[in-house]
Amino acid sequence: MTITGIKVAELDDIPEGEGIAVSKEVTGTDDDIALLRDEDGGVYALNDTCTHEVASLAEGWVEDGRVECPLHSSKFCLKTGAVEGMPATKGTVAHRVEVRGGELWLFPNEAP
Amino acid sequence: MCRASERCQRRRVSLVFGSPMTSTIEPETGAGACQGAACGDAPQRRATAAPAGALRRPAELSRNIDVSGLVDREGGLLDRAVFTDEELYRQELRRVFAPSWLFLAHADQFHKPGDFFTTYMGEDPVIVTMDKNREVKAFLNSCRHRGARVCRADFGKTRNFTCTYHGWSYDLEGKLVSVPNQGGYPDSFRREDWGLVEVPHVESYHGLIFGTWNPDPVPLRDSLGEMAWYMDAMLDHDEDGTVVVGGIHKWVLEGNWKLAAEQFVTDWYHVNMSHASALMVLSPTGKGPKDEVVHRTGRQYVDPNGHGAGFPVHPKNRFDARTVHEWTDYAVLRERLGDARVEGPLTNGHATVFPNFSYLPVNGSIRVWHPKGPDRMEVWAWMVVDKSMPEEVREAQRLYNLRTFGPSGIFEQDDGENWSECQAIAHGFITNGVPLNYQMGIGSEREDGVHPGATSELYSDAAGRSFYARWRDLMNTPAWHEEARA
Repeated sequence: MTITGIKVAELDDIPEGEGIAVSKEVTGTDDDIALLRDEDGGVYALNDTCTHEVASLAEGWVEDGRVECPLHSSKFCLKTGAVEGMPATKGTVAHRVEVRGGELWLFPNEAP
Repeated sequence: MCRASERCQRRRVSLVFGSPMTSTIEPETGAGACQGAACGDAPQRRATAAPAGALRRPAELSRNIDVSGLVDREGGLLDRAVFTDEELYRQELRRVFAPSWLFLAHADQFHKPGDFFTTYMGEDPVIVTMDKNREVKAFLNSCRHRGARVCRADFGKTRNFTCTYHGWSYDLEGKLVSVPNQGGYPDSFRREDWGLVEVPHVESYHGLIFGTWNPDPVPLRDSLGEMAWYMDAMLDHDEDGTVVVGGIHKWVLEGNWKLAAEQFVTDWYHVNMSHASALMVLSPTGKGPKDEVVHRTGRQYVDPNGHGAGFPVHPKNRFDARTVHEWTDYAVLRERLGDARVEGPLTNGHATVFPNFSYLPVNGSIRVWHPKGPDRMEVWAWMVVDKSMPEEVREAQRLYNLRTFGPSGIFEQDDGENWSECQAIAHGFITNGVPLNYQMGIGSEREDGVHPGATSELYSDAAGRSFYARWRDLMNTPAWHEEARA
């Protein structure tokens, strides 16, 4: 049986402009996954570890369609994972996430 | 050309007496005047002897502090007092600046007798000028009468240097040639005793003119050692050498001069963090430079005399300004300078010639960090290009320089902010006592068989540790002007 989606949290678990990390033991991925809630309410999922140095993007700043790393201010697109600000120079992996009736369903390794 | 200066100098030329003075300056009081006395730091063994009469400077005015405990080269640690302490600063002027070769000017600033440029050696104001024999000389810019500067212009062309206070006037060789109301002085007054104090040694390397107050210095070329190989990568592209483009930018920064000299000697590490926004602006994609650009590898030259130079190493190292890149014949440069220099220090990197001269090959920015007390520096930046560059290439490089470094440069802003930040808090009592870390690349220096001398990794504090070790050694060594003391 292939699990394509995992219910990982309630929408209300994440304040707007913030994020939470989902352990890779839950997601089955190489890295933890950061669930990031933009200020307009949209929820996105990216690999949690910054591509620059070891830092959790779930603890970063989420605004204007980007997450900014809490350590060195690298920026990544919430929708695609593309790098949009140094010092990181490599993009990260984006995963599909769905909001189903107030529940957050994550689809690890599926493109959004 | 400084027209204002020329005008006022021309007006004063009428004060010059008719007969030129003899060129012989007889030292009436030399080192002997100080023997057996505690003379403090009054320079005694200089080329220009100054009558001191009964003056004896008390040694208490220049107490020297043993700085051994402030620099731990082997452990990679530095005490912040080196940036903040007023007494250490005055000792630096005596023992680091007075004996060292200091950058004065570029040879292109002097074409005809009377061309002059005023600058500083440490905090000492000097006039650099071409005399009638077309020899570039340097003099202390301070009237022997009451001490005012005898040249107040930044640069220009003149016949003589006349003090604006009482009118003592000196010729291009520093001789006192006019004293208004000279009859009012005693018969023992001899004008030849009161010429401008001359910088005893002025030497140049590939157009860069240096001077030292040390009457018996190691020759400039010898003091540069292997550093010259790295400097040639910027200064010796062809036989015509370099020229200065535009004026000299000068600006003031709150920060100890060593913060800047240190960064240019040893610090590529800050680039990706401090200059992230500037690198973003320059990125063609707007998303920052390519990974391989950011994660450059390279080498850092570590000179035993405190010089240093860091540079990326890449077979396609290129000038960033497109027009400059397209004009440059890299094949010819490879033939003249060798692959290692073209792929290393030729196009990019940072460098400091101890103590306070630094440069950037990428845009031809050469600069001096003039000390202005422990907490302040004045940055003077020239821009040099190959003389063989056509006008449009020079202009492209000039604009690239303006946009990146200098007072309008987006990279320079980042650097100045960092230095001022470090200085602003360093006087806190607890803060000042917390040592700083210079441990990156400890033990990594080696001969790599490609680059002369010892080199470390591009990201390393090795040249910084050597810089401060040299500083420590000079600070603990009596300078030439102290040798005559009892």
